[in-house]
Amino acid sequence: MIQQLLGFLSFYIPEVMCIVLMTTLLVAEASVKEEHGSRDKIYTYALVVLGLTLIPLLQNLGKAPVIIFHNAITIDPFSTMIKIIMVLGTMGSIYLSRSSKDIYTNLKSEFSIMAVGVLIGGMLLASSNNMLTLYLGIETLSILSYVMSSFKRDDATSTEAGIKYALYGGLTAGVMLYGISHLYGMLGTIQFVEMIPKLAALQGGDLAIVMVSFLLFFAGIGYKVSCFPFHMWSPDVYQGAPIPVTSFFSIVPKLGGLAALVRVSMIFFANESLLSVSWIGLMLVISAMTMTVGNVTAIGQTSVKRLLAFSSIGHIGMMILGVVVLNDVGVRAILFYGVVYMFMTLIVFYITSHLSDMYGTDSQDVFRGLIYKHPLMAVIMVSVLFSLAGMPPFSGFIAKFNIFSVIIEKKYYGIAIVAGINSVISLYYYMKLAKIMVFGQPDGEEKISGFTTANQAIILALFIPVVFLGVFWDKMMTIAGDATIFIK
Amino acid sequence: MNGILNYILWLPIIGMIGVLLTPKAKENAIRMITLVTTGVTLALTVVLFLKFDNAATGMQFMVQVPWIEQFHINYTLGVDGITLAMTFLNALLFFICTLSSWTVHKSVKGYFALLLMLQSTVFGVFFSLDFFLFYVYWEVMLLPMFFLIGIWGGENREYAAIKFFLYTFFGSIFMLVGIIALYYASGKGVDSFSILAHQGGKYTQLTVDVFGTTFSFERLFFWFMFLGFAIKVPIFPFHTWLPHAHVQAPTAVSVILAGVLLKMGTYGFLRIAFPIFPMAAVENSTIIAVLGLISVIYGAFCAMAQDDVKKLVAYSSVSHMGFVMLGLSAMTIQGMSGAVLQMFNHGTSTAMMFLLIGILYERSHHRWIVKPDGSKGFGGLYTQLPKYSVVFIIGMFASLGLPGLSGFISEALIFLGMYQRFTTITVIAVVGLLIGAAYLLWMFKRMFFGEVNPDCKEYEDMNKREIFYMLPLCACVIYFGIFPGPLLDVMKVSVGQLVDLLAKFS
Repeated sequence: MIQQLLGFLSFYIPEVMCIVLMTTLLVAEASVKEEHGSRDKIYTYALVVLGLTLIPLLQNLGKAPVIIFHNAITIDPFSTMIKIIMVLGTMGSIYLSRSSKDIYTNLKSEFSIMAVGVLIGGMLLASSNNMLTLYLGIETLSILSYVMSSFKRDDATSTEAGIKYALYGGLTAGVMLYGISHLYGMLGTIQFVEMIPKLAALQGGDLAIVMVSFLLFFAGIGYKVSCFPFHMWSPDVYQGAPIPVTSFFSIVPKLGGLAALVRVSMIFFANESLLSVSWIGLMLVISAMTMTVGNVTAIGQTSVKRLLAFSSIGHIGMMILGVVVLNDVGVRAILFYGVVYMFMTLIVFYITSHLSDMYGTDSQDVFRGLIYKHPLMAVIMVSVLFSLAGMPPFSGFIAKFNIFSVIIEKKYYGIAIVAGINSVISLYYYMKLAKIMVFGQPDGEEKISGFTTANQAIILALFIPVVFLGVFWDKMMTIAGDATIFIK
Repeated sequence: MNGILNYILWLPIIGMIGVLLTPKAKENAIRMITLVTTGVTLALTVVLFLKFDNAATGMQFMVQVPWIEQFHINYTLGVDGITLAMTFLNALLFFICTLSSWTVHKSVKGYFALLLMLQSTVFGVFFSLDFFLFYVYWEVMLLPMFFLIGIWGGENREYAAIKFFLYTFFGSIFMLVGIIALYYASGKGVDSFSILAHQGGKYTQLTVDVFGTTFSFERLFFWFMFLGFAIKVPIFPFHTWLPHAHVQAPTAVSVILAGVLLKMGTYGFLRIAFPIFPMAAVENSTIIAVLGLISVIYGAFCAMAQDDVKKLVAYSSVSHMGFVMLGLSAMTIQGMSGAVLQMFNHGTSTAMMFLLIGILYERSHHRWIVKPDGSKGFGGLYTQLPKYSVVFIIGMFASLGLPGLSGFISEALIFLGMYQRFTTITVIAVVGLLIGAAYLLWMFKRMFFGEVNPDCKEYEDMNKREIFYMLPLCACVIYFGIFPGPLLDVMKVSVGQLVDLLAKFS
């Protein structure tokens, strides 16, 4: 028994490392003195340990999928790849929190603790193999997120964000649990593996109940990935939360939720049946609405954080299209999109954070004439905005190209046109921001100060993949393609 | 010789890197680097022209390197007769534009770097024989244009830049869907992204279901491609971005836009839409002809109504590109050759017009034929600027199709080619020529004759630099007006192949 558990643990090293990291961070935070030196050590420690988790993760990437902890957890290349993206996103956000003025100095190490906690939830969610772990993952992810969004305690919008997030989260989690309990009532099990044959045997009225239960179940995931109609919270939370938190939210919980969505869809609905047809229909409507609502609403935004919140809703809508096709190439497209999206999001938030710290607001005006104030920053930001809109030669184009490619292979021409028009809309508001940066004249002569060499190096390091993956994406597609192995 | 296309394609990028590495303050060095780069590129295209085998069928100077092997995407370049004419035009106009941009003083470094990047991407569009590569260049081309219009343009430049960008992007999305659909229709094989492999009417029998309705694959995706290219040309009713972009763009960018970028649209019809979907092209040739005709007439009337001389020339481009569409819709050897020749000739004559307007603008700082307050913007320029007036006359008459100058030959060929197929349309289109003559001559009368406007007395005539860069264009306009032979010989085989293919379906 013990030996079996230890054997399981050998697959679970990354998560264990994160849990150890979180607890040690708690202890270290409590014992640290109010000196900058020791705080820096805490950062370095968190970043180094997170970096080290990449080693076992990369090892797991090549391994055959396994089920551990008595059907609770599955470690397969798909979940591992998602975890790698989430770890990188967490590292990026923690690094950002260090310099950001949005996070108060005495809360900085708490940010790391919370972020690692959310990461653990995300990892649990990504590799959940039954309804219970899935629910646990979502809750771990959510509860810490509520705290993170209200990190600016004396700021009304931040507090509002926290409460809104908590209320929405509580409601949708309840609805989800309701759906899960119905499923349990109908099928008598919460294990994914055991549910599949029982689902296939369902007839008539039972099928209808299961359909409704899945709809309720979808509420929880939909809220985590913030897709229509569960997206209402995200603009307010994104705007209210401190910028490092926003950048963290737009990567880790979203990808965790997306991983769960992909897994559930691939496990239950990959075979042709009435159930899968209705699920595909649901996903088509959800993705079309998510994209359109996100992109259209983004047009009028003047707060950059809010704009990015809506644009990330648009991107999630695009990624859900990879779920619609329910095959390996769809998952590959999502994984590629996820990687690229992570890099682009981090860069955009890094630059926004720096400017917002300098001017004390995240309104579009802080970007005015950036090309004259800090050319490097402006060129990178403009390139990333075009990449987000899906312009070649940047990787955002390849990500969208792959999504288009998988849906057109399945002959969903209608939704392809909808997605295309959404790209045009998104180009419009990204271009408006780019326009302010490049065509606008700066108000004064002042230059951007405090953008250190280290920060520039980080931005460049994040920017290189955005360009490189846009031109030489063969290798990355192979990696993403290898990571589409599931346990079905 | 095999890699010559690579050199032509990447030389401007090398020049761009050179410009970027030069310190900002050394403006003359930056200009010289650009001039040398575009000059060498021009020389290379001349070499290409001379080495080109007029009698050979198919593509020449092919380069093929695997790029994304999983998707069978290759870096494939090649030229045929149609491409060659456009390549030469592109190299020539960029060289001239560099010279004409000597007077740009705002952020010189960025300007020339973007100009060189634009040149490379335009070459890329013409050379690409791989759909993916073609699409990448087609889109990347928008980025330098966006910044060139948006930073160095006129008062309303931001609006113009965004409208131009969004409009084209909208069209290209449909093209992208078409490209991916073709990829799957051809079975994801080794050739599934190769433009040439799709040609020849392979999709006439295929059907697709969209929203529960069955469409013919060929007919549906012909219109997808059509939309992408028609916006670029631009054909009525997709032309509304053009006047804004032209009026706001700096002189050199207007020249490039009218001279080569618009040709990318008609080039798309010649290389992609017609050869890949010949059945749909033949079926819809009447629609294309009618849209072309509306462009001709409507563009001409719009031009006549303009008070801004640059806007006038911009609308005249709509009208002249309508002739190209008419030539394409004829689907005969004369009509098609006329269309390609018109693409080249419109490139040189409109470039002259825009350059001349730019020269005048540098002196007058306005472009009103009639100012908004009703007074005359110019008058009696002929007596004040004799050299300028002579060049202007050459450009204008080439543009309106005076026999002996280049515009006449191509328009005559187009009418000759389409008369049998679309007699009525031809007759009406000839009227378009008349309106063309009317607005140009009327503009000329108002600007160059009559009482000398007091403001115009201080204008200097063209200087040596300006004369130097106008000369090659004058030479082209006159030489190809009398001897169109070299250009027609070059494109004969390529156009012949396309016409033969289309003939199978009519």
